[in-house]
Amino acid sequence: MRREVKDKILQALTYIASALSVFVLGAIIVYLVINGLSLINTHLLTSNYYPQTANSGVKADYVYSEMGDYSGNGHYSKKWGIAVEDIVTSHNDEEISVTYIDPNSPFAHMESLVAGQEGQDSSLEVGSNIQNIYYTDENGETVFLSKVQMGDAENLVARLDEAEGIVSCNFESLGGGIRGSIVTTLYLIVISLIISLPIGIASAIYLHEYANKSKINRLIRQGIDTLTGVPSIVYGLMGVAVLFPVTQLFGATSTSILLGGLTLAIILLPTIISSTEEALIVVPQSLRDGSLSLGATKSQTIFKVVLPCAVNGILTGVLLGIGRVIGESAALVYTTSTVISDFPTIMSQGTSLSLMIWSIMSGEQPNYELASAISLIILIIVFVINFVVKIIGKRLARSFM
Amino acid sequence: MKTCFSIKNLNLYYGEKQALKNINMEILENNVTAFIGPSGCGKSTFIRCLNRMNDLIEDCKVEGEVIKDGQNIYSSKQDIVDLRTRVGMVFQKPNPFPMSIYDNIAYGPRCQGLKDRKKLDEIVITSLKQVALYDEVADRLHESAMGLSGGQQQRLCIARCIAMSPEVILMDEPTSALDPISTSKIEDLVLELKKDYTIVIVTHNMQQAARISDYTAFFLLGEVIEMDKTDKIFSTPSDKRTENYITGRFG
Repeated sequence: MRREVKDKILQALTYIASALSVFVLGAIIVYLVINGLSLINTHLLTSNYYPQTANSGVKADYVYSEMGDYSGNGHYSKKWGIAVEDIVTSHNDEEISVTYIDPNSPFAHMESLVAGQEGQDSSLEVGSNIQNIYYTDENGETVFLSKVQMGDAENLVARLDEAEGIVSCNFESLGGGIRGSIVTTLYLIVISLIISLPIGIASAIYLHEYANKSKINRLIRQGIDTLTGVPSIVYGLMGVAVLFPVTQLFGATSTSILLGGLTLAIILLPTIISSTEEALIVVPQSLRDGSLSLGATKSQTIFKVVLPCAVNGILTGVLLGIGRVIGESAALVYTTSTVISDFPTIMSQGTSLSLMIWSIMSGEQPNYELASAISLIILIIVFVINFVVKIIGKRLARSFM
Repeated sequence: MKTCFSIKNLNLYYGEKQALKNINMEILENNVTAFIGPSGCGKSTFIRCLNRMNDLIEDCKVEGEVIKDGQNIYSSKQDIVDLRTRVGMVFQKPNPFPMSIYDNIAYGPRCQGLKDRKKLDEIVITSLKQVALYDEVADRLHESAMGLSGGQQQRLCIARCIAMSPEVILMDEPTSALDPISTSKIEDLVLELKKDYTIVIVTHNMQQAARISDYTAFFLLGEVIEMDKTDKIFSTPSDKRTENYITGRFG
C-alpha cells in the first residue's frame, strides 16, 4: 500500500513538472499575442522605423475633378477625396492617419516644398499622419490649420469640406516599422553563411574523412567542441578586437553589419561543423568502399558520393545556423551597434530583429507592444525553421533504407 | 593456364592481432576461385588484400607479397587507383549509390575522366546486358537505383564493376543478403562471367562453392588449410580439418 502511494506521488510530480514547463511556454506566447498581435500587419513589415516628415504643395498643373465614392474605414471628405481616421501609433502618439486617397484628389498630386527637394513628387500616402494643412477659404485667403485645430479626424473632414482649395500639407509617414531590421537580419544571415558554410563543411570533411587519430587532431576537435560553449558576448568582444581591423581593410570606419556578419560566421562554425559531421557519419561506409573499389580517388569519392548523400544534414545545419543568427543579440551589441537603421548597407550600422527589441526596450519609453510584435515574428520564424528541420531529418533517416 | 595473383608469405595484422598467417597461394586466370571457412577465419580480410581495400582500415599492416603481372601490388610504386580499376570488387550487401541506375554504372568510367555521352551509353548498356539486368530496367535507366530489389541491386553492383572492364572481380559473399532466386541468378552470372574475367569469391555457403568454383581454398583461423580443385576438396580432402568442416562437424 505504501509503495503504491509513493509511486503515485512520484508520478504526480512528473506531471506537475511537465505541466509547469508547458504553462510557461504558453504564458509567454499568450503575452506576446495579447500585446503584439494587433501591430502585426504589412505596414509593420514594410515601413521605416523613424517617421519621415514631408512638406508638400499641390502641383501648379493640378485640375480639380469629381471624386469617387469611398466606404471604408475613417471619415471621408468627398470634396477632396481623402479619408482619415484617428489612430494611436506604436510610440503612443495620437495621430490622424490617412486611410484612403482618391486618384483625383489634390493630395495625390503634390510636390515637395522642402529645400533641396523642390519639384520632386511627394504626395500624401495611405498610412501617413497629417500634421497641418494650408487651405484657401471662400474669400481666397490662405488659412492655416494646425494639428491642434484639426482636433480629430471627424473635425478635420468638416473643416476641409468648408475649404475652397488646398494649398499645401505637412505630414509624417507612420514609422514604427521594422523593415530596416528585417533587411539587416537578412544581410547578417547571408554574410555569416557565405563565410561559415564553406569553411565549416571543409573542416568537417577533414575531421571525418581525412584526419587520423593523432594528438593534434584530437586537440582540434576538442577546440571546436569548446567553441560551442563560449558565451556569445565573448564572441562579440572578440569581433570588435580581432575582426574590426579586418573590416577596416574593406573600408569600414565604425562597427558595421559586415563586422556583425563576420562575428556570427565564427559563432556558426561549430554548429555547421558538427551537423555536417553528423551527416557524414550517417553516410554508410559501404558507399565509400564501393566508390573506392571502382577506382575513384578519395576526393572523387567525397565530392561525388559522400557529400551528395550528406546534403540533407548539411541543410539542417544551415537552418540551425539561420535560427541562431535570427536569435543572436549579445554578440551583435558591440559589432553591428544598437542603432536602428531604416536603410542598412553592409558597411553601415543596423540592428537585427532581436537586437531591435533590445534597442526599443532600453530607451526611456520602453515600447512593449512593438517588442512583443517583433518577438512574435521571431517566434514564428523559429517555429517554421524547426518544422523544416524536422521534415529534413525524417527524409534523411529514410534515404538510406 | 596463366597465374593471375601469386601470393607469397602474406601476413596481416590488425594492430597487435594477427589476422592472416603466412599465406601462399596462386590464383589462376579465367577461373572461379572460392574461399570457404567459418566466420572470422580471415577469408574476407584476405580477399580485400587483393585490391588493397584493407588500406582503408586504420592499424592494418600487411607483410609479404601479392604479385600481379610481375609486380608486387604492395610495393610503393603501385598506383592504388589504377590497381582498383583492374581489380574490381562486389560487396556483401548491395551498395548502389543513391543516384540513377545510369549514373551508378557510368560512375567508374566518369571518375576516369570519360565524358563522351555515346561511349558512356554504350558502356552502360553492354554492362547491364552482361548481368542480364538490361531487360528489367531498360525503361527506367534514369530512375533511382534505390528502387531496385536486393537481387537487382547486387547485379547492378556487378554491372558497375564490369563497366570498368577489370581483369579480376572480387566477390565478398555476394549472395549472403539475397533470396534463393536472386542467388541462383548471381551464380549463373558468375559462371557466365568466368569466360572473360578472373573471379575470386568468398562464400559462406559450401554448396555454392561446389556449384560454381573451379578451385577452393579452405581458411581456418587466418591460415589456408588446404587449396585444391573444387571437386577434390569436396570429395577427398587431404586434411582432416577440411573434411570436418565440409561434412558439417563444425563451422
